[in-house]
Amino acid sequence: MAALPLMKLIRLKGVPILQQLHLEERLLRTSPHNWCIINDGTNLPHIVMGISGKPAELLEINSVLRDKVPVIRRFSGGGTVIVDTGTIFVTFICNKDDVSEVQPYPRPIMSWSSLLYSRVFQGVGDFVLRENDYAFGNRKFGGNAQSITKNRWIHHTSFLWDYEINNMAYLKLPKRAPEYRLARNHLDFICCMKEYMPRTNFITRTVDALQGEFSVETTDLEAVESPSNTKFIHSSKILTERELEEAALG
Amino acid sequence: MLSRRIFRTRPWSSAGWRGLVHDRTAAKSSPPVTGTARQSWLFSARDFKSMPSCSVHKFYEAKNPYGIQGCSFSSQPMVEVRVDGIVEIPLAQTGEGIAECELLKWFVQPGDKIDEFQPLCEVQSDKATIEITSRYKGEVSEILHVPGDIVKVGETLLKLFVSELSVPAEVGDTMEPDNDTCTSDIQETAKGGVLSTPAVRNIAKMYNINLQDVSGTGKDGRVLKEDVLKYAASKGLIGDIPSPITGDPVKQKSEREDIHQDDYEDKTYPLRGFHRAMVKTMTAAAKIPHFYFVEEINCDALVDLKAFFQKHSDPDVKHTSLPILIKSLSMALKKYPLLNSRFSEESNEVTLRGSHNIGIAMATPSGLVVPNIKKVQSLSILEITKELSRLRDLAMANKLSQDDISGGTITLSNIGSIGGKFGSPLINAPEVAIIAIGQLQKLPRYDDKGNVYPAAVTTVNIAADHRVLDGATVAYFCKEWKSFIEKPELYMLHMR
Repeated sequence: MAALPLMKLIRLKGVPILQQLHLEERLLRTSPHNWCIINDGTNLPHIVMGISGKPAELLEINSVLRDKVPVIRRFSGGGTVIVDTGTIFVTFICNKDDVSEVQPYPRPIMSWSSLLYSRVFQGVGDFVLRENDYAFGNRKFGGNAQSITKNRWIHHTSFLWDYEINNMAYLKLPKRAPEYRLARNHLDFICCMKEYMPRTNFITRTVDALQGEFSVETTDLEAVESPSNTKFIHSSKILTERELEEAALG
Repeated sequence: MLSRRIFRTRPWSSAGWRGLVHDRTAAKSSPPVTGTARQSWLFSARDFKSMPSCSVHKFYEAKNPYGIQGCSFSSQPMVEVRVDGIVEIPLAQTGEGIAECELLKWFVQPGDKIDEFQPLCEVQSDKATIEITSRYKGEVSEILHVPGDIVKVGETLLKLFVSELSVPAEVGDTMEPDNDTCTSDIQETAKGGVLSTPAVRNIAKMYNINLQDVSGTGKDGRVLKEDVLKYAASKGLIGDIPSPITGDPVKQKSEREDIHQDDYEDKTYPLRGFHRAMVKTMTAAAKIPHFYFVEEINCDALVDLKAFFQKHSDPDVKHTSLPILIKSLSMALKKYPLLNSRFSEESNEVTLRGSHNIGIAMATPSGLVVPNIKKVQSLSILEITKELSRLRDLAMANKLSQDDISGGTITLSNIGSIGGKFGSPLINAPEVAIIAIGQLQKLPRYDDKGNVYPAAVTTVNIAADHRVLDGATVAYFCKEWKSFIEKPELYMLHMR
């Protein structure tokens, strides 16, 4: 039997989302290895938009400015989320040749990930991939984004373990919504993972599911962060107050 | 005449994403893979002038271990139309149901030599950013879109100059015979035992030559253009084979005919990139009620100051008049900030902008672009000179960043550097003013004593949004600006 490809696993807790995104992009673009990064919650509430997200369309900017909620534009595509301690992040960074059965395009990667998570949620709720979201039934609990380069790809997910209802008010209803959302408002559209599975169980089962496809080797964050990393130019950035103000003016 | 910031990212329209999202579950993720659907996809692909290339080409049905029937794309080459070695590279299909992508950034520029599989650009489709790589080794000839453009699948992204015309012989060996009707041309050629390109076949047809009669000297016996011409010459169909230096008389004749024919034929081409952006911004500008204020400025002192800077500062820095005009403009804006404002029609509000981010219109090989120098009020003339040079270099290389071209508060167009007395510019919305500077001319003028002397004179035309600015404000502003240009010693009076 062929040896399973190696995947290095970094387990984090409460790491700031910007630091996580910087780490992910650097690993995607400069590392030759496969990586899984799990960040169990992030320290402070942040809004995270996709690479071409437009604040005026996606955010209630006046509220965001008033409450000084940081807004990040990340390096990958996809939509907008507000993340906090109730969010669990799981990221896969793969060499396309190490997962050669997965075509390096958005849909096949999305399908591959859904099969992996179907093993995680086996016997728990009615897990399904709906368009680009992970859902129990028709309620979304996980959003996805990807970035595909010449030889590698990243697929990262923010899982809604729990959320603050008030935080949702910072986000506008997106112009483009998945068809399965129908006309539901936000609270009727999403659900919390905590109603289905203990937090540590989810992380353990995710690692177990990974081990079915990769030879998983746990690594510390310190081992991958080094002074030379500061030379890497990150694409994910926090929008300045001025940028948000200008966006508000249209 | 002038465009607004043309890199402003376009607003998404939900219509643009029609067909992108499908309700699929892990159990049934497949696109239709019936024969009919596959053929219809292939026929639509054939309609494109050049087949999908870059990193996605051939379409085949795949069943992967996950039990999901899916579409996937290998990098097998397909038929492409090449004219004079120029290959049009379209945006290839990046996923089922994806009809268009947003172009995020280029990694190459015209003139760059590129290798096979080298990343060309990054696009975004729905949830993913995707690097598009080149299938060819060649040179970038023309880039047809700018970041922010929505590009439809199949639309040409860029053109490459590929020096060798070839049809890969292995295509016929590796493709499934029932899989790709688009490559029937290649297969027919291969079947006939003669490998050649469409261009070579056209030449043979022109001389009524059967390619099977021609001995091919290319790879794997491929018939090249020279082979056909040599054969034609040997049959007396044409004169001596032309040398590259003297040119082909037959070709010259046909070229002359083509030229004559071209003189009278209409030519239609789609507007792309900067030019397409200009259409959009000028259309928006047309809604603004413009009024124009024209003034003549004596630039004798400006010319002397420029010469002084050149003589007494770093010889590696080339000084021009423009940075001095930019700095003096900023000083005038301090007194008349309304010209550095933004108007919101929706809220009926005017916002006085804190920074003087002065945009400079630049004509580049790719079109008109307006990068801006940020916070001019806090920059020295030397710093403005260096920043202007930096922006100009980036503009000519088509490498301006999003930050360089956004956030402008007022625009200056030195159209006189090309020529013309003055122009009537269009405002770069949502700014409220734009200034066009005409050519510097030597004209006879009277001095204070009534004597005629040759003066360096330019005419400026300030276009202003009449919803925000009135004639008096613009006139006072222009008077202030003119005073700084004609009497630069006034800088010292206001310097902090």
